[in-house]
Amino acid sequence: MRPLLALVLLLQALHIGLAHATERYLQLVVTEPYLEMHSGPGRGFPVVYVVGRDDSVTVLYSRTDWYKVRAPRGQEGWVRRADLARTVLASGKPAPIPPYPDFATHRWEMGAGYGVYNRQNLVTAYGDFGITNSIDAEFVVQQALGTIDNRYIASIGLRHTFVPEWKWFSPTAGIGTAFQYVEDKVPPAPREKSNQMAYVSLGARGFITRRFMWRADWRHYVVFNSLNVHEELEEWKIGLAVFF
Amino acid sequence: MENRLSSVLLAAALLSGCSWFHRGERAPAPTPVVAEEPQADPSIIEPQVNRREVKTPKIKAKDVELGGYFGALSVQDFGTNPIYGVRAAYHVSEDIFLEGYLARSKAGQSSLENVFPQITVISDSGRRFTYYDLDLGYNVLPGEVFLGRGRAFNTALYVTVGMGDVKFADKDQFALNFGVGTRVLVTDWLAVHMDVRDHVFESTLFGVDKNVHNVEATLGFTTFF
Repeated sequence: MRPLLALVLLLQALHIGLAHATERYLQLVVTEPYLEMHSGPGRGFPVVYVVGRDDSVTVLYSRTDWYKVRAPRGQEGWVRRADLARTVLASGKPAPIPPYPDFATHRWEMGAGYGVYNRQNLVTAYGDFGITNSIDAEFVVQQALGTIDNRYIASIGLRHTFVPEWKWFSPTAGIGTAFQYVEDKVPPAPREKSNQMAYVSLGARGFITRRFMWRADWRHYVVFNSLNVHEELEEWKIGLAVFF
Repeated sequence: MENRLSSVLLAAALLSGCSWFHRGERAPAPTPVVAEEPQADPSIIEPQVNRREVKTPKIKAKDVELGGYFGALSVQDFGTNPIYGVRAAYHVSEDIFLEGYLARSKAGQSSLENVFPQITVISDSGRRFTYYDLDLGYNVLPGEVFLGRGRAFNTALYVTVGMGDVKFADKDQFALNFGVGTRVLVTDWLAVHMDVRDHVFESTLFGVDKNVHNVEATLGFTTFF
């Protein structure tokens, strides 16, 4: 914990140093009658300055959907993404404001959620890479917290999205392999502390807003153990994710 | 004077010669003859300047917030003690953010142990209270605060809800947490946080199953990356 805190403080100190390093910023020319600059990066913040047509602004950085800009006379403020997208480069080309990632064709995804694993509370976090629009590789780390034991589960698998174009609700199915580590809480100790597992899954995903989405997943695990009868486990989870 | 002029011309000739090596794809034309001429007009060299591709600078996104916090944690039945931790957040939109916390504290003595010193409810190592949380946050009341007449700071009052693991009494427990906090941006990249958060989990330490509330009040500093 202490080294981690030290690392964070070091990063922050480094960041302060970097913030003062000279950087090249994007210059954009206003083509609309005016460009409004707000006092903060949010819809409610008042307009504190207005840049006129044919004046240029320096774009310093962005935060969510807002861009911090500097006016020709040095005033700084926040411009809405949609407003800045209507400015142009000095060459006359449209401003290079990156579009939102397309939900149907996005590549990366990161999320977390809640679930139930073997009737235990489950905390889950995952990363996901889209190999194609309909096939993803998913990497999941989970902690199941129960009254008898705690389990750590890591899994890797492939998931198929049947109709990636369906925005609000699109069913998925997947297979994969997993590993679980059992940490005993109440005696008797489990027969095996760790197991290899395999799973099949059914689920769904949907778009919420901008780069935000939800996922729900049901999994059926087969636990490989030294006994002749394989143990079977059920899991379901819901989560929120950000896609890039 | 003459010496300097000739050295300037020689330098120009050398530079123009060097520039050929940097051109890569284009085969060298027999221009060295021109470069050798002592009275060469500088304008002849000019066309050899490579046209530079103008790169438009990228806009940096500063949506990630990273920092640390410290404060007081009241562990139910075990007194109030110092706590410190780290936090990382990703701002998805102006309203929503995802946040993770990692913190540690150490619980004190319960009233039972204070009254009957011979009783130990939990071992010394079990008094360590650590948690991690994964939260969803919502900026409920964004706004500005004023310091005197000349200064305004952007702020937001936010609520968070999440879940995670609390390790207490040598046991990991599933815990829900509910929090409310305020973020004051001293500059656009440095924020001060004041948070109150409750970690709720089920405990059987005193024989009966009950939900214990562990409230913390913390002060934190974060920077935006």
